[in-house]
Amino acid sequence: MDFNFDEFLAWVGEDIDTLMMLIWIIPVIVFVFYGQRIQLLISSNEIKKDIDKLEEYTASTKKDFLNYVKNNLTSKTDPSKRLDSFFDYFTIMPVDMDPNGIISKINHLVRSREDFIRLQINGMFSDLSSVELSKLQNLLEIVTTLQLFYKHTRHLYLTAKKQKNFPLILPLQMMIPFIMEEAVALKDAMPAIKKGQPIGDSIGPMIVGQMMLDTTKESAAFETVWSKTTFEDRELFLLKAEGPNATVGRPGDGFEKIISNKKPDLVIMIDASLKLEGEDSASIAKGFGAAIGGIGTERFKIEEIATKNQIPILALVIKQSIHEAITLMTQTIADKANAVRDELHQMIRENTTSGQTVLVIGVGNTIGVSQ
Amino acid sequence: MRKSDNKITTCYTSLECNSCKILQKRKFTDGDFVFSSSENCSDCDGKMMITKIFGVTMD
Repeated sequence: MDFNFDEFLAWVGEDIDTLMMLIWIIPVIVFVFYGQRIQLLISSNEIKKDIDKLEEYTASTKKDFLNYVKNNLTSKTDPSKRLDSFFDYFTIMPVDMDPNGIISKINHLVRSREDFIRLQINGMFSDLSSVELSKLQNLLEIVTTLQLFYKHTRHLYLTAKKQKNFPLILPLQMMIPFIMEEAVALKDAMPAIKKGQPIGDSIGPMIVGQMMLDTTKESAAFETVWSKTTFEDRELFLLKAEGPNATVGRPGDGFEKIISNKKPDLVIMIDASLKLEGEDSASIAKGFGAAIGGIGTERFKIEEIATKNQIPILALVIKQSIHEAITLMTQTIADKANAVRDELHQMIRENTTSGQTVLVIGVGNTIGVSQ
Repeated sequence: MRKSDNKITTCYTSLECNSCKILQKRKFTDGDFVFSSSENCSDCDGKMMITKIFGVTMD
């Protein structure tokens, strides 16, 4: 059949409603059949931009780390190749079909990994101080985590694109802003860790560290110290990670050692805590329970000992964003130290009587903060 | 000093004299850590202790 364009225009001219109908119906048909693909295209373009940023962060932090090692440490051989292999190390978590006893398995796994990395790094460089070793562990952790973020997001993105599967990209679209927030924080944490400067998370050890000045410090566990002092007729046991190393120590093991010496009547844990949207940075909050982050093994141990011995645990937290928690401590957080100490004293007064014993734990990474 | 998204963060060290309690603030130098005392007070020759290390960000 021959199509006459002039006739078609004449017909349209007579019936404008038909043209309008076609204008509306064509996009509807396109969206019915290709809607998901169009959405996939738009969403994946946005995600691709973030994945490119993640790749850039991974490459820049890796380069930064290797430059730091080359310029600051002495090694018999070129450490780049060996360090490069560490970036791809992975951890297989224990089977959780039968969760009974899983905490001790996770604890063993995490500690074995830490010990292995520590031993390998220590063997690579000569005259490595404990501070430098802990800094290297933290820097390595940053690069490894960024690489893991990059690889996992890229995997989900490429799988969704390959299979043209729109629902598969939805969880990634929802999660990517949180991943990017953490990735930016990790990237920005590098300079402070390299220079051994305190980070937002160091506020807990900073408060307990000041209380420990002029007391006799003893080792409570690996990279963890404790000491005794007094406050208004109460005996205070103070526990924190050993500074100025870039470590969180082992407060669970430390608590176990202290309790074998004398049972405290109250435990107060001071830690940095992630603020909720709308909350002010460096605001102080009080509560109940063990204030400690991480994978959960230390918290489990502290909760278990406290429950077994019927010791109440109180929490004193300093709110901050993820970025503030792992990058150089802000002035607002540092200036809150005295206010937190006053709150701690008030908590001790309100919850104990003369002659009682209180264990105060400064939880967090004690980088750049001694005692 | 570092630059991130047009923001510059400068790290400062805050010190307090153990004797005359005078407060001082200077730029961070390598080797500084909180509660270390390596400098003498310019006023009374007492020991200065680092009380804070913090960053100030400017746009």
